[in-house]
Amino acid sequence: MQNLLEIKDLYVNAGEKEILKGINLKINKGEIHVIMGPNGSGKTTTANAILNNPSYKKSKGSIIFDKEDITNLKTDEIARKGIFMSFQLPEEIPGVSVTNFLKYAKNKITNKPVKIFEFKDEVKKYMDELKMNPKNMDRSLNVGFSGGEKKKNEILQMLVLNPKLAILDETDSGLDVDAIKTVSKGIEMFKNEENSVLIITHNTKILHSLKPDYVHVLIDGKIVKTGDASLAKEIEENGYESYK
Amino acid sequence: MEKLKLNETPVRTSRNFNINNTKLDINFPEKITPFQNLKILNYSNKNYITEKIDKYNLVYGLNKILENQVKENSNKNIKIEIDSKINKDIVLDFEFNNENKTLIDNIEIIANENTKATVIIKYCTECDLEYYHNGIIRALAKENSNLNIIIVNFLNQKSNNFLSIENKCENNANLKYTIIDFGGKNSITNYFSDLTGNSSNNRLDTIYLGKENQFFDLNYIGELRGQKSNINIEVQGALKDESKKHFKGTIDFKKGCKKATGNENEACMLLSDKAKSLALPMLLCSEEEVEGNHSTSSGKVGEKELFYIMSRGFDKNSAIKLLVRANFNKILENIKNEELLEQIVNEINKRLD
Amino acid sequence: MSKTNIDEINRNIYDIKNKDEYDFKIKKGLTPEIIEEISKQKNDPDWMREFRLKALEVYNKLELPTWGPDLSELNMDEIATYVKPKSKLNDSWDDVPEDIKNTFDKLGIPEAEKTSLAGVGAQYDSEVVYHSIKEDLIKQGVIYTDMETAVREYPDLVKEHFMKCVPVYDHKFVALHGAVWSGGSFVYVPKGVKVDIPLQSYFRLNSPESGQFEHTLIIVDEGASLHFIEGCSAPKYNKVNLHAGCVELYVKDNSYLRYSTIENWSKNMLNLNTKKAIVGKNAQVDWVSGSFGSKISMLYPMSILNGEGAKTEFTGISFAGKGQNLDNGFKVVHNNINTSSVVNAKSISKNGGKCTYRSLVRINENAKNSKSSVSCESLMLDDFSISDTIPVNDIRTDEVEFSHEAKIGKIGDKTIFYLMSRGLSEEDAKAMIVRGFAYPISKELPVEYAVEMNNLINLELEGAIG
Repeated sequence: MQNLLEIKDLYVNAGEKEILKGINLKINKGEIHVIMGPNGSGKTTTANAILNNPSYKKSKGSIIFDKEDITNLKTDEIARKGIFMSFQLPEEIPGVSVTNFLKYAKNKITNKPVKIFEFKDEVKKYMDELKMNPKNMDRSLNVGFSGGEKKKNEILQMLVLNPKLAILDETDSGLDVDAIKTVSKGIEMFKNEENSVLIITHNTKILHSLKPDYVHVLIDGKIVKTGDASLAKEIEENGYESYK
Repeated sequence: MEKLKLNETPVRTSRNFNINNTKLDINFPEKITPFQNLKILNYSNKNYITEKIDKYNLVYGLNKILENQVKENSNKNIKIEIDSKINKDIVLDFEFNNENKTLIDNIEIIANENTKATVIIKYCTECDLEYYHNGIIRALAKENSNLNIIIVNFLNQKSNNFLSIENKCENNANLKYTIIDFGGKNSITNYFSDLTGNSSNNRLDTIYLGKENQFFDLNYIGELRGQKSNINIEVQGALKDESKKHFKGTIDFKKGCKKATGNENEACMLLSDKAKSLALPMLLCSEEEVEGNHSTSSGKVGEKELFYIMSRGFDKNSAIKLLVRANFNKILENIKNEELLEQIVNEINKRLD
Repeated sequence: MSKTNIDEINRNIYDIKNKDEYDFKIKKGLTPEIIEEISKQKNDPDWMREFRLKALEVYNKLELPTWGPDLSELNMDEIATYVKPKSKLNDSWDDVPEDIKNTFDKLGIPEAEKTSLAGVGAQYDSEVVYHSIKEDLIKQGVIYTDMETAVREYPDLVKEHFMKCVPVYDHKFVALHGAVWSGGSFVYVPKGVKVDIPLQSYFRLNSPESGQFEHTLIIVDEGASLHFIEGCSAPKYNKVNLHAGCVELYVKDNSYLRYSTIENWSKNMLNLNTKKAIVGKNAQVDWVSGSFGSKISMLYPMSILNGEGAKTEFTGISFAGKGQNLDNGFKVVHNNINTSSVVNAKSISKNGGKCTYRSLVRINENAKNSKSSVSCESLMLDDFSISDTIPVNDIRTDEVEFSHEAKIGKIGDKTIFYLMSRGLSEEDAKAMIVRGFAYPISKELPVEYAVEMNNLINLELEGAIG
């Protein structure tokens, strides 16, 4: 198995507060990993730290992606290396249509001119699979989208940008059963032997339709236990109490 | 009679818009005799000193002549120093009558660190004579203090009401003003808050209600200097007959006020086709990380609402009263003093009849 | 495709300086003798010569504004108010002198004329050097010509309308305009004629220490419609140049006029321009305005809604960078029942620039059942720029719906992070957000101009982000 991402002894602060206190994590190509944990345990911080959000400061540790140290790279450089993050609360950008945004981002990520007709066909195919309203393509990015539409739009972006590692931060939260199924389907379409998925969640609904290779339990900024899919099931039944 | 230029805005705009200042003919009182009819409730000696007020130049103020009149010829000086958390409202109740026709008051309120108090200042008239009021109220809210000031203007329709207010808020100070502006042939108010303190907070809620030929000129200015400082100005008013209102509201984000917020909302209900509403809600900004919003609206009472209420058996006048009251309600909730609240509600009903 | 051509436009094009060659340049300053000389050079009829001299008297009586940007650096003794280029008026680009033609070529004017315009006027310094209009419009009775020709050939129409909408005593710079005006366009669209493709006039000021005072007079007769585009630019010099144009629009009953402007004067220009429209019954005037250049701009287009059911919309953006003070806005007066106005104003301040939105909405006693809604948004790109909002709302009757909203803020860090996580650099992310912010305005412009505006935003943003 070829390693894709390795987080080594990572400490991260958000403002004054230390959130991550020594995270270690290895993700190989072709694997699906899940990080679970109660609210405030540092799940979103982990995702933001990987993409080097300037609001989160790393005090110690490193992140290696595809044999390269990306700890201090800028967010856009990391994205161009092949890491994608689906946001818990995607930002609204008035005046920028979904189509134009996708085209622009695709061009930046691949560093190649986007062939308009191929691109349009590809987007249309994904939108059909995700049961998205085609009219949304001409609307401003995320502006006035419902919670579900925003999440599907994130998955659409993932499919179009086709990263090596997709980090899905609470992509399932706030969605109804049907929407979760659609989102899971999107992830299945994306997944292959060469790429990896890191799912961050505080509930287990989405895991009913996706089979993770590893489940990590994050409590108070540390991974306290790692197991297989059965660990998620155990937490679904017993909660996090025994790990606190 | 003297023509005075009053209430200049901090930034001028085109003269043709007729809002940079207000020009008024004023009958100055010929003789200034002591003002005797003042009731003061719920103060202790510790919190109240009279007569001794330091000389001070206002940053804005209504006008230099009026300012000097207060400095040199005031007939009532009151200094209130708050040293603890006071639960009972401090009330200054000025009542004009035949013997007390002129009030030139200079009021200073200092809320020391970690204190809390409510001060109610009320101006009313006993009979229908022409009275003159010109006052300055200065408030200093020191660190972590919580000062709540309520000003009530119930003067009659013949009098002149001039008021200059100036405030300073230190770190974490919380200063709240509620102004009930109902009376006076002319009611002219200048309000200036300097929010120097970090995380200082100033809320100003005003309701005004004009009838006959009343004229209101409100010039409210908030300067945000402290980090995370906040000002919130809410003005709700209604104008009937041939009454007129000028509202000038300025929120000024000064350099350094990172993460400050300022909101200003002004709404005017026009209850007659002769009533006039002129508004200039300004946002001035020299800092990046701030959030400033303002909104104003004018118009008559909504037809749909009116129809709905009348369909429940209200006559038109009562229905309008109800809707005006509804707009005022959020601000009236600031008045915890039940006796005062009742007086205000009665006054609203009386003035809307 | 014209789009790709425009994509490659860079600032240098606007900054191309031709040699200050002219046929005649009036000496600097403002005296009755100078006005007489301009009038003589222009072959004015008597009424116009007298009009100019009278306007000068008004100019001398009026004060500078007591508000807004500081105009003290403007010294009329240092400004040449009339510069006649080395070219007569032509109706073929081939006849326009080489260097002047090259300038307009680089600005893309002849190209746009071929692809997307029904007529073009091009002014160089004080005189129009090129004017054309499509044959079929002439057949329908549409007049599109330079102002001087109009004074000569349509004296009655001009006399009836010239500086009646904007009287010379409106303010000091209108009076100045009345005294020294030169060039500009005249448009008459007859009753019921719909001009589907836009007309465009482009104003280029090349000569240093001079002024441009073009007069645009448009009459859209009953039931007619027109889209008119105005473009302007100038190369940068060390001393101030002055632009005090005047635009008068008569939008008669049931007619429609859209007036679009992309203003890209150089950063030594004082742009003290006056634009006003008188709008008739059930007629509508829409203003679309992008203000990018100028050192100081004071520009407040005005709609006077005189007719019952008259409408106006204003959509505008100002973008102030280093050393710029753009004091722009809109004025509307509602003078009849059922009138309506919609204002959507945006501004961007960066690198020490100052944007002011200054406005007036007046709903008069007789404007029952009128509506007005105003929205202003300001974006601050750094902490040493300035953004002020100074709107006056003057409501004089009760049966109205009036609302006004404004907000000021910066680009959120979270938004930038979101876009960067999609592979955009910080600069790209900011530019994308700003373009999105400006989109409600750029979408109102013909596509070539929208692309040009986006390019201007990119140019303006370079250096803003460090």
